[in-house]
Amino acid sequence: MKHKSWHLDRRDLLKGGGIAIALPFLNGMGSGLKKAMGSIRNAAGESEQPKRMLVSYFAYGAYMPESPSGVPRSTGRTDDKEHNPWSWWPCKDAGPLSFNESSSPFKPLKDDISYLRGLDHAGGWKLGGHSSGDVFATGADMIGAEKTNNISIDQVAAQLHGHKTRYSSLVLGTEGGTGSYGSCKTLSHRGPGRPIPSLHKPQEIFNRLFNPYTGKGVEQVRAGLKRDASILDLVLEHSRSFKHRLGSEDQGKVDEYLDSIRALEQRVERTSKWTHQPLPDVATKGLNLEVSHKEPEEYIRCMYDLIYLAFQTDSTRFATLMLESEQSSNSEMWNYATYVLGYKGATHDIAHKRPVDYSGQWDQWRAKQHAYFLQRLRDTPEGDGNMLDRTVVLWGSAHPHASHSTKNYPIQLAGGSHLGVKHGHLHEFVGEKKVPLANLFVSMLNAVDVPVEKFADSTGPMTELVQ
Amino acid sequence: MIRWILVALLLPLVWQCQLNVSEAATVDDGYEAHVRPFFKAHCIKCHGPDKSKGELTLHTLDGDLGSGQGIERWEVVLEAIESGAMPPEDEPQPNQAERKAVVDWINSGLRAYVEKASSEAPAETARRLTNFEYENTMRDLLGIDLNLIEYLPQDPVKPYHFNNTAEFMLLGPEQIDRYLEVARRALASAIVDLEKPETLKTRQDWDSGESNKGFAKKLNRNEIAIHNSRRGTPGQGMGVKEFPMTGEFRIRIQASAVFPNGGSELPLRFVMGYNLNINSSTQEVVPVGVVHLRNSPDDPKIYELRGRIENFPVQKGRVHRGKLQPDRLTITPQNIYDDGTLNDENQFLYWPRQPDMPRAVVDWIEFEAPVNEIWPPKHHARILFDSPLRQSDPGNYIRQVLTRFMSRAYRRPAMAEEVSRFVEIYNLLKPQLGTVEATMRETLAMLLVTPQFLLHTKADGKFIGHEFELASALSYFLWGSMPDGRLYELAVSGELNDAEVIAEQVKRMLADPRSEDFVSNFTHQWLSLSKMKTVPINRDLYPRFLYYVEAGERAGTEKPYIPTIRDYMMDETIGFVRELIRRNASVTNLVDSDFAMLNQPLAAHYGIEGVEGQRLRPVEIKAEHHLGGLLTHGSVLIGNGTGSAPHPIYRAVWLREAILGDEVKAPPAEVPALSDSAGDSAEQALSIKDLLAKHRTVESCNDCHVRLDPWGIPFEQYNAIGKYQRFVPKEGTRVRGFDRKRDNDLPGYAKYRDGINTQEVLAESRVPHGPEVDGMDQLKAHLLASRKHDIAENVIRRLLAYGIGRQLNYRDRYEVENLVSQSSKDDFLLQDMIVAICQSSTFRERTGNERKRDN
Repeated sequence: MKHKSWHLDRRDLLKGGGIAIALPFLNGMGSGLKKAMGSIRNAAGESEQPKRMLVSYFAYGAYMPESPSGVPRSTGRTDDKEHNPWSWWPCKDAGPLSFNESSSPFKPLKDDISYLRGLDHAGGWKLGGHSSGDVFATGADMIGAEKTNNISIDQVAAQLHGHKTRYSSLVLGTEGGTGSYGSCKTLSHRGPGRPIPSLHKPQEIFNRLFNPYTGKGVEQVRAGLKRDASILDLVLEHSRSFKHRLGSEDQGKVDEYLDSIRALEQRVERTSKWTHQPLPDVATKGLNLEVSHKEPEEYIRCMYDLIYLAFQTDSTRFATLMLESEQSSNSEMWNYATYVLGYKGATHDIAHKRPVDYSGQWDQWRAKQHAYFLQRLRDTPEGDGNMLDRTVVLWGSAHPHASHSTKNYPIQLAGGSHLGVKHGHLHEFVGEKKVPLANLFVSMLNAVDVPVEKFADSTGPMTELVQ
Repeated sequence: MIRWILVALLLPLVWQCQLNVSEAATVDDGYEAHVRPFFKAHCIKCHGPDKSKGELTLHTLDGDLGSGQGIERWEVVLEAIESGAMPPEDEPQPNQAERKAVVDWINSGLRAYVEKASSEAPAETARRLTNFEYENTMRDLLGIDLNLIEYLPQDPVKPYHFNNTAEFMLLGPEQIDRYLEVARRALASAIVDLEKPETLKTRQDWDSGESNKGFAKKLNRNEIAIHNSRRGTPGQGMGVKEFPMTGEFRIRIQASAVFPNGGSELPLRFVMGYNLNINSSTQEVVPVGVVHLRNSPDDPKIYELRGRIENFPVQKGRVHRGKLQPDRLTITPQNIYDDGTLNDENQFLYWPRQPDMPRAVVDWIEFEAPVNEIWPPKHHARILFDSPLRQSDPGNYIRQVLTRFMSRAYRRPAMAEEVSRFVEIYNLLKPQLGTVEATMRETLAMLLVTPQFLLHTKADGKFIGHEFELASALSYFLWGSMPDGRLYELAVSGELNDAEVIAEQVKRMLADPRSEDFVSNFTHQWLSLSKMKTVPINRDLYPRFLYYVEAGERAGTEKPYIPTIRDYMMDETIGFVRELIRRNASVTNLVDSDFAMLNQPLAAHYGIEGVEGQRLRPVEIKAEHHLGGLLTHGSVLIGNGTGSAPHPIYRAVWLREAILGDEVKAPPAEVPALSDSAGDSAEQALSIKDLLAKHRTVESCNDCHVRLDPWGIPFEQYNAIGKYQRFVPKEGTRVRGFDRKRDNDLPGYAKYRDGINTQEVLAESRVPHGPEVDGMDQLKAHLLASRKHDIAENVIRRLLAYGIGRQLNYRDRYEVENLVSQSSKDDFLLQDMIVAICQSSTFRERTGNERKRDN
């Protein structure tokens, strides 16, 4: 591999921006440094330790030869059949985790992950296999009562805690934009019918995160923002009067516009506030920000690296990453498996044909990329533990094995040991034990200090994972 | 009434029948006499309380169309019965009279309802500009052509849908945020500072001595062989270290061509950006243009290319031995001559393995920027125009500048209060920003994030004349951009809203080069073309279709940054549609035509002789070429294949969606997938016909696939790279991949191909509600004989939907019917069709509020 993935050189990081930079909780780095940094504070000047969350999605489901739904057919009866080494599920039965070939990249992370079998969003059932990814992070009942998508789990958390960091959330995808109803290119929605476009170009993401002033001085930026705020206000008035001249059918769109300007005003205010905090000085060395989709491993790792850096500098605490989508035929993502495994067909076809060799290798490859990210978090000390201990990471897809099915998603939860999450098991939610996936969302939100009792169609928290 | 329906929905069938009977007095007699018995006899079995095939149930429809309840369902029913698609062929059929009675009853009720409903709230059409429209509008508004789309969030794309609708064009804070960024970026280029910048110049010369570097042994130092970038030759590119951040540039070259063994034209393409010699896979370049060399070295000529420097990626200077190197631009000329044999005969494209191939001779390259023949440049003076007022009455001058700009940006006269608001903004900014230029940049950037600029809306006519809306409707339809001066004048004078004037304007607009944007954007989405660029071509089976990197760590990947036959195929399809519109040809040409749009590589691919050069042109074709129409275009066939094999289902879906205009539903949740769709690798050959037949034995699959698969079978005559094929691998055999050592040359490849393809292709199929057809020619004949009307209607619907920026619904049914019958009189001529659409009342429609007022 030509470009080495990004390796954090802590000394590099501390150069330039100096000790005052928003490098949180480097307790593990030795007492000398700790002294130099004075008391450990985050960028907002609070002394609480961050609680973070990432939702990461992969498309097309995964290989689960147990049955089309991924749930073993034989319930209760113990037969002597071995667990398939290439099944996405790491082991055959509910209980303590052991790892097969497909899940082997997670072996070193055994005590930090859980697998959850039999979960899904009822809201996605009728969406069809090409579209159920739309509601992966929202659980919205798009076909039924709600008619449209709704707020996603990361945005619920961002609404409450987003003000504590420079960016309330980070929304990434591999294809970019919002996509459309039935073929979303983002996991995040700030409310009904309000998707947040995902960013997909590493260079742009890096610049927006760590170089938002595009070379201007802080004073200049602040003056510009002050100007923006006063003028956007005038633009808003200008637009309001315009609205009343329109036909009734067109006024809804102008409301969408007015909401956006208001949100932009808030953002200007927020950005302005944050100019009083120095930007973290993050070196690009070793980060291949020009990587393209044609190098999927480099590209995906780069996206994960960017999330890692955003978390590590406490630039944001909530992120989503739509790694692939079911509707990617217009992008190079369509060819992932071709580039990576030499598969002679569209990547999507693996989901239909499930050839044993390619399916397993593909799943394992995807596991490797995700494990890389988890490992990086775990290797970074923070407080009395590591970053993974304070980050809840959901990883999964909106289909099981059968390509068009919308039930029984592959779901893995990682991290958050210091946020009250218990790990190390495969849990099964079938038959009478079946609960909505949204129950897990309630517990994830609770873990990051969002005291909700309900999310989408949830029926309660997921007690199995609570310490 | 409504309450009764709701109750009925919840009750079992028996109860519901009783309710309907009790209501019969209020319901049109035709329903009880014809429709209900018809439903009972032919429909309810599959579309009733027990089954709801196609997610359609009829037992809950009541007999009162005037209520509007289930109106969309009634339209579906009407279409299915009218076209004969339902009841299914293997079920008892109603007689003609029964069919007609039902069709007439629904039609009369539906028509009455449509008339009633269209005076009420119309569909939402307000939407933001698509990124494509935004970039074009900025180009025409500012007078400079900048690439802006790449700085905006991606627009959604959905196969067989146009994205210029309210549903797709959502607005959010991120979008507005980017609009502001992009507007600032564009205005930084459009409005210059008053001091004229110095023109920076870079020049490099090459002499004609013999190069002696490696492969290039026999190449002169000023020569470029095909795909060649040898050291010391111009093929390696010229680095530019001094250039401005904004402005127009000019590249001049002295060049000629050597044709050792025939040929008369050599396309020399220029790309600019990063230095491709470092690691071309991660370096970024953007094409500047192509010059076509026909002159020999005895007669060197000077060629010129221009562009905006902002559109090219600058390679940031890196720190080298402690010193920051300057930013760089590299201009790289590429010899892209391609006679279609390169990939067949020359595994190594490097000199001297191909001594007979044409070479470009470049004596020198010169780069200059910024080039300003007049100062300040035109685009600047268009905004900050020259006027004595500027000195004598600055306040008035600013008001005039803003009025002019706003009237263009808003595509209608600016209102005094709107201008005042921006005068206020200007005055607020002026003390902070200092100069008129800087202040105007920021003021106009803010103006470009107002909804009047960003949104397509229909204003209430009390305030703004409709003529301006019509001018915009026309220009965004046919140019994807704002109205030009002529359209604007016609709107001002009130002459535009007239059928004759519209016809004249449409013809003028279609003849304008800006209409190429329309054809390309429309055709891409209509035919869902873009996926063809991402289908992975199986290199074992088709080793010579694309160009691959031969050695090094990137061996086996496609060569970046050279045009390939896939690009030409895209041009072929867009060019074909453009040519049909230009000729005002019949829509039947979409199915079959006596010409194809080809250049030399395409002609070689399809097996047509006598086409020379890279330029696309109409070429007469014969029956033995198995071409004609859109169905045999490489773009379509590759995009709807797997890269290894044809994919009859994808191709059938394409035919039904893009050509016949059916909406093919996505496979429902919980259906098993087709176990294997033709050759997932080169390994195992499978007979697709048998496979599909097997698939159809499952009832849940059969319901849809029985109407799908037969359309795809005749396409089996065309392989995964869009070539006509008579032979395919025998079922069940193991297909060996191409062996680079053994099958290296062209005869070797032919032998390999004949070795694996041993069975005559099976392309016989009985199409739904149609005859047995054997292969593509007969399929086309059937489509032309029996489906011409449907195809024309589809094209009209697509054009109308794209033109008005919303999906059509039941209300548009009768307008479409009118357009189809009007167009049928002269055999569905395409340009006339577009004219008629622009003249239609749907296209010229006004807001609901106003219609109400008028009625």
